[in-house]
Amino acid sequence: MTSPLGLLLLGVTAFGLATTLEPWFQTWAGSRTASGSALQVALGDGRRLFARHAYARADAYFHNGYYPSIYDGHDGYEKAHIADGLHELEGANGAEREADFLGQPRDWIERFSRHFFPSVHRHLGEATSCQHCEHGHGENHDHGHGHDQDSGDPGHAGGQEREILPWLQLSARLDPQHIETYVVGAFWLRKALQRSHEAERLLREGLQANPGSHEILFELGRIYFEDRQDAARARNVWELALAGWRKHEPGRKEPNELLRMQLLGNLARLEEQAGNVTRALEYLEELLTVSPSKDAVRKWIDDLRAKAPQP
Amino acid sequence: MNTATIPASAVRLPDIAFLAAARKAWHAAWAIAGVVIRELCRRKDFYVLFVLTALITLVMGSVTFFGEEDVARYLKEICLFLIWVSSLVIAVTTTARQIPAERENRTLLPLLAKPVTRSQLLLGKFLGCWLATGLTLVVFYLFFGVVAGTREHAWPVLNYFQAAVLHWFMLGIVCAMTLLGSIVFAAPSSNNTITLVVCVGILLVGRHLNKVALRLDEPSQTLLYAVYYAIPHLEFFDVRDLIVHNWPLIRWDIWAAALGYAVVYAALFLGLACLAFRRKTIY
Repeated sequence: MTSPLGLLLLGVTAFGLATTLEPWFQTWAGSRTASGSALQVALGDGRRLFARHAYARADAYFHNGYYPSIYDGHDGYEKAHIADGLHELEGANGAEREADFLGQPRDWIERFSRHFFPSVHRHLGEATSCQHCEHGHGENHDHGHGHDQDSGDPGHAGGQEREILPWLQLSARLDPQHIETYVVGAFWLRKALQRSHEAERLLREGLQANPGSHEILFELGRIYFEDRQDAARARNVWELALAGWRKHEPGRKEPNELLRMQLLGNLARLEEQAGNVTRALEYLEELLTVSPSKDAVRKWIDDLRAKAPQP
Repeated sequence: MNTATIPASAVRLPDIAFLAAARKAWHAAWAIAGVVIRELCRRKDFYVLFVLTALITLVMGSVTFFGEEDVARYLKEICLFLIWVSSLVIAVTTTARQIPAERENRTLLPLLAKPVTRSQLLLGKFLGCWLATGLTLVVFYLFFGVVAGTREHAWPVLNYFQAAVLHWFMLGIVCAMTLLGSIVFAAPSSNNTITLVVCVGILLVGRHLNKVALRLDEPSQTLLYAVYYAIPHLEFFDVRDLIVHNWPLIRWDIWAAALGYAVVYAALFLGLACLAFRRKTIY
């Protein structure tokens, strides 16, 4: 087989097989090479597992590394804390979610080991004192010495929130269908880093991967309304999001009522500002059926009715 | 004071002979350590791993996320991870081949025929490997400091010093453990594999064994808790998260206690290695 003739025969066979198999492989539905994403080619559908991990890493970075492992209790960590800012209405539960997963040390080894890893619950950008000025053990420290954390300016202390971005981007690349990644990423880009253009770009990427997603559309509307003061575009996007919600959510086991309330509230506010009281009242009447703060909504309705021109 | 009443043996300094012997042993061990360090400098392991670490870190550093250029923590995490992997591989593979290589090259017996005891040989090998890994760590941490500094525009030298020294002492335990393995196990490959698996296992789950033990029934609970107390807790020395997330300095007394903990375990493994090596028949 090592003779030149044998080698030639092997070469011809290989070439012949290649010319036969290549056209079939190019049209084969299971070929990963059809995807433009290198991650899709390398990891296949397994990339979704890594996407969840990357998203959890972003949350761990948000906690300055203080994060439960698979051996620790996950009470209060089932949902990423980086998503907390999205839902101001959930703020009431925040205190519960600050639970200390470490608890009391069980033995001297555990007590001693806590000096060597982040063992204090703290979020990125939270004001702390500086090590080189005066601080106690366990306090966070920014080595930048610009005293960023003490500035009191969330956007400035910020800056630090940028540290979660690589993991969010990786998560979005690995699992483009995970909508929360886009929404959370856009929120931090917009709120903490004042990068509304980048936030809009990320949301549009999300919309390409998840056409008509009402969660993404809601966040996009916030950019138009709060950052660009473009009420007309915000209204269009939110109305589209509300239509999407009415189409998809009622059939779900646990409909996202919070998003519905946010959409209705924002649309009502927008219509009120535009002087469309009747339209605003329609949204508020719907909001009244789902809101836990019925008194506040009723008061809002009464105020609007009082302002409305009598027929 | 009436010196005439004091016996002559009491006037002589009793520890002079001991000191001379210790000095001689130190010289012998130091000479062997020098050979090990020169060997590491000649071999390509370190250079390959350092270039790989630098290359991967720089490539990852060239990526920008949403136009933010000062994102640093992910890069620090990747770089420190690569440094830890590289240093563990260098420490284990360098140490694991010391005694078997002497045996294969038939230089072990001539070496022991010189006025060098087996314990001195092992001590020299340990010192050489530990110092060699220390040298590699200096290069690695300098690179890390430069990368982190250029991103964060800050130079927390003391934090890096604490992390590097803890890392180095942890590698001391690993070197001593590997040296013991090279006496116990037949081939360097099996020693490499077993030591690396044990080290990585301790680093990953060592801290959590007590929690796992509490969920078990007796006698598994007691057994696992005993393992938890007995193993060297290498994870004490892994302060990467503190460095990555810019936590403050570790208290110096706690830091020193951790170094003491490492010294005790390294001495224990080294003592066991000496004991095993003394009983070993050398062909």
